[in-house]
Amino acid sequence: MSLVSLRELTVALPSGADRALAVDSVNLEIGRNEIVCIVGESGSGKSLTAHAIMGLLPRGVHASGGEILFDGADLLKETPAAMRKRRGRDIAMIFQDPMAALNPVVAIGRQVTEQIRAHRPVSEHEALKQAAELLEQMGLEDVAGLLKAFPHQLSGGQRQRVMIAMALSLSPRLLIADEPTTALDVTTQAQILKLIKRIQAERGMSVLFITHDFGVVADIATRVAVMRHGRVVESGATAQMLRAPVHSYTRALIAAVPHGDNLLAPLPDAPPLMAVNRLTKRFARGGFFARNAVTAVDNVSLTLKRGETLGIVGESGSGKSTLARCMIRLLDPEEGEILFESADIAHLRARGLRPFRRRIQMVFQDPFSSLNPRHTVADIVTAGPRAHGENADEAHARAVEILRLVGLNPQTMDRLPHEFSGGQRQRIGLARALMLKPDVLIADEPVSALDVTVQAQVLKLLDDVRRQMNLAMLFITHDMRVAAQVCHRVMVMRHGKVVETGPTRDVFAAPSSDYTRALLAAIPGRGSL
Amino acid sequence: MKLTARFAHRFFSRPTALVGFALFAVIALVALLAPVIFARGPFSIVGMPLLPPGAPGLLAGSDVLGRDMAVGLAYGARISLLVGIASTLFAVGIGVLLGAVAGYYGGLVDDLLMRITEFFQIIPSFVLLMVLVAFLQPSLGSTVIGIALVTWPQVARVVRGEFLSLRSREFVQAARTLGEGDIRIIFTQILPNALPPIVVVSSMMVGSAILTESALSFLGLGDPNLLSWGSMIGGARSAMWVAWWTSVLPGLSIMVTVLALNFIGDGLNDALRPRGPR
Amino acid sequence: MNRLQFIAMRLVKTVLVTIAVVLLSFFLIRLAPGDAATVMAGQSGYADEAFMKSLRAEYGLDQPLPVQLAKYLGAVAHGDLGTSYVRRQPVLDVILERLPNTLLLDAFALLVAITGGVWLGKIAARKPGSVGDATVTVLAMLFYAVPQFWLGMMAVLVFAVWLAWLPPFGIETMGADFTGMARLVDIAQHMILPGMTLALYFLASYARLTRTAMLEVADADFVKTARAKGISERQVARRHILRNALIPLVTFAGLQASILVGGSVLVENVFSWPGIGTLAYDAVTARDNPLLLGIFIVTAILVSLFNLVTDIAYSIADPRVELGQ
Repeated sequence: MSLVSLRELTVALPSGADRALAVDSVNLEIGRNEIVCIVGESGSGKSLTAHAIMGLLPRGVHASGGEILFDGADLLKETPAAMRKRRGRDIAMIFQDPMAALNPVVAIGRQVTEQIRAHRPVSEHEALKQAAELLEQMGLEDVAGLLKAFPHQLSGGQRQRVMIAMALSLSPRLLIADEPTTALDVTTQAQILKLIKRIQAERGMSVLFITHDFGVVADIATRVAVMRHGRVVESGATAQMLRAPVHSYTRALIAAVPHGDNLLAPLPDAPPLMAVNRLTKRFARGGFFARNAVTAVDNVSLTLKRGETLGIVGESGSGKSTLARCMIRLLDPEEGEILFESADIAHLRARGLRPFRRRIQMVFQDPFSSLNPRHTVADIVTAGPRAHGENADEAHARAVEILRLVGLNPQTMDRLPHEFSGGQRQRIGLARALMLKPDVLIADEPVSALDVTVQAQVLKLLDDVRRQMNLAMLFITHDMRVAAQVCHRVMVMRHGKVVETGPTRDVFAAPSSDYTRALLAAIPGRGSL
Repeated sequence: MKLTARFAHRFFSRPTALVGFALFAVIALVALLAPVIFARGPFSIVGMPLLPPGAPGLLAGSDVLGRDMAVGLAYGARISLLVGIASTLFAVGIGVLLGAVAGYYGGLVDDLLMRITEFFQIIPSFVLLMVLVAFLQPSLGSTVIGIALVTWPQVARVVRGEFLSLRSREFVQAARTLGEGDIRIIFTQILPNALPPIVVVSSMMVGSAILTESALSFLGLGDPNLLSWGSMIGGARSAMWVAWWTSVLPGLSIMVTVLALNFIGDGLNDALRPRGPR
Repeated sequence: MNRLQFIAMRLVKTVLVTIAVVLLSFFLIRLAPGDAATVMAGQSGYADEAFMKSLRAEYGLDQPLPVQLAKYLGAVAHGDLGTSYVRRQPVLDVILERLPNTLLLDAFALLVAITGGVWLGKIAARKPGSVGDATVTVLAMLFYAVPQFWLGMMAVLVFAVWLAWLPPFGIETMGADFTGMARLVDIAQHMILPGMTLALYFLASYARLTRTAMLEVADADFVKTARAKGISERQVARRHILRNALIPLVTFAGLQASILVGGSVLVENVFSWPGIGTLAYDAVTARDNPLLLGIFIVTAILVSLFNLVTDIAYSIADPRVELGQ
């Protein structure tokens, strides 16, 4: 018998929500000693399914039908007090953002012992000893210091390890992990996935793992269920489903995960359109007493040809976004040159920059904050030409053309941004950039805030536009898989410095640095997709 | 104009906002028309002192000196609204200008402004206001200037915060990469988005300025040539024991006016908050 | 930045605020039309040129501005805030004599406001939209709109005049000459009306702020974590929600202090409470500018010291203080 079986589980949303049911008649089995993944995009109901099992649905949302059988007992029929006793003891949960999931003003040790002591009659001293052991099992060092530390003093990976230690403190039979690696860097993600697999095997417990990433599924799950709009569209053994997905949506999801094949060949030699020489950018940090500078970009050089896409890859804090913002001169670099054709624009001021502004354009990361919520699409898209004193009618005519090019209906021009989806908003942002007929397009994590299927569409659009307009494109990303899809060459950055640069094919086939090797090894689902 | 209509719909669908707006409209009307409604001025003596409300010809009774309370209340509304609105306009003018510059450009101007607003937050501003008005000689002008002087840092703080956060938003960065100048960015990109909190704070400030003015006049620091609600209450202190209306009515007037303004502020806050995803 | 650096910075700030207050005061003196001599001459009934001159010399008003400023700073640094025109006593002595009464009243009001406000806010946050919550919201709205001095007068009318439960004026019964416990009880009875009048506004703001802060924290992920641990709802509320919601309240108490002083001036006058507030009123009516200015300086320094205390409390309550702001 399975440890958990969901029978026709239905979760209702409060009236006034965009739909009536968040989870609609879901059936799912979680066996003993296995890892089951629920995979789906935002709004699929995957997370609420997990919360329903835990008995922790948000205010106003409730399970309106079906059963959640845990070892034969229906959790939906249990009293709140009985459910509370189960939480932490029988079922434990870890969350997406470990920084937000830990109480910021309580020491780590106290947060772990609190859980132990809620269920077992042990002294604080005894509980602390157990906590220390658990943290060591999670591969953490300097445990005595950690127990006294506060969450903000830990790294992201450390925090998630603490969360896992806490969840395991009472040896639960089911661990629910709700996107536990989404907020982490790739290399940290790989470590945490390995850890979860290890402890699952050691303890023989069951894990329900929620994710949006089929790569992660391939790495970790024995079985998988695909959810969409609150329903399970397909479920089965992982290997089977990866090999032969039945449902068209599953096929789309798997196809949308960027693969390592079909890498673009580097372009033939040509003089660079844009070049960066020994660029350095520092930020002052600290207050009145402790002022020091952080070097965000450290002596970086690169070249960019017409028609070429150069990927800048790095984890958070690598300086990749700062580099991009220096190149488009949103930031003032301290040292080095930024050559456009042969003019150095690194230290130009407002007036001198103006002619270059229209030739270098940018697409931003956040589809919500990158468009002024009070301007219509027409205002947004024609802002560039108007700022450069162009005729309004001509600008409007071109806007119609460009909106068609990026796949938007020009008749929606007088709407406000919030009426569009995330993917559509990224298209508006691209249209805005293209209106000035730029030579260089800088794309700063343009797909990282989008669902995977939408990601694939936007990536394809960017590549098409690059080809059609013969643009030089600088593509900033943290995701090696995305870089592999659109870049001719990649440059790997870490702590503000360039680790290696080369044609995408060469870097993927034979990375020259340990760090790049680690990044590549950390790609979820590498090999099985 | 679709936007305006939607805004109005959202504002008036809140019962408190509707009530607040209606009350405020009535009070403003009475204030405007006081010289038309009443033939006599607020200082003229019409009969025996301390006649209760309902006495012949005296809707709201008479005060210690035998003046018509109803006339006093109507003329008091003029002072309250005038001081409330004028001082808020001054404060908002200074606050928006300095807050915008500090928030957008940052640096030294910002440091300086933050120190000044912190200073005003810490010092007891009502005592400072008493000193200011007393030293400048109590008058309508000194009251308005004094109130504006101690309240503008609040506005500056709000505006600066808005500008600071909006400045780093990606759509403002996008505007810069498009080649828009600072002035254009401030007025077309940032200000429209910063306006809702400014409007809300202003409406709340009118109310608190009315309370402050009444407190000053209560302490005898109002314009000696004008009758205001605060000075009516101050003058009624000796009669409070025998003629409740002399203090109760002007106090209620203040409360209702401020309440109406706060209701309007709450309604604006709700109606101006952007809806939809984020 | 560690906690000690944070506290050191706040200490520097307190000193700077004090200096700024004194500088501001000096320039405020220049604001008044006529100088001290005109006022005093007016009060003593005759104003011939020689007398004015001697007065100006006595107060150093005939010297150049920088010299006056230097003298003024030196004097203030030594605790010399000038001489009250009316009382002919050092301003500082007059103020210090009244200060304990005001501190007593304000401390009582602050205590009532914080404990009552946090308690009401907790009730309101427990079930947003419930009757209890709506009542707290409506009361808060009312207390925001009521002029404090008028509320005091109404309290006197109801509780002292009509119901005759509590004494209306003063700090103790005149001529009763109570001693020991009896005197304390007498003072406590006199304190209830003015103290509550003063407290209500702040109680309302505390209730509202507690409510907002608790609802905000209740949505935080770490509260979900706490529930996932299987600890009791009481512990979730106390250890996780309230513990975090109280942090903004600490800072708020500091910011409220300056408003409390203003309210205190009004309420003391309504209830003839012999504190700084009634003194300020006397100074205004008697045009005793040095006294009024002295009150401003002393209260400003006290409030900024109180802010220092709340800042230190904040740095203890929130370990993230080392991240800087």
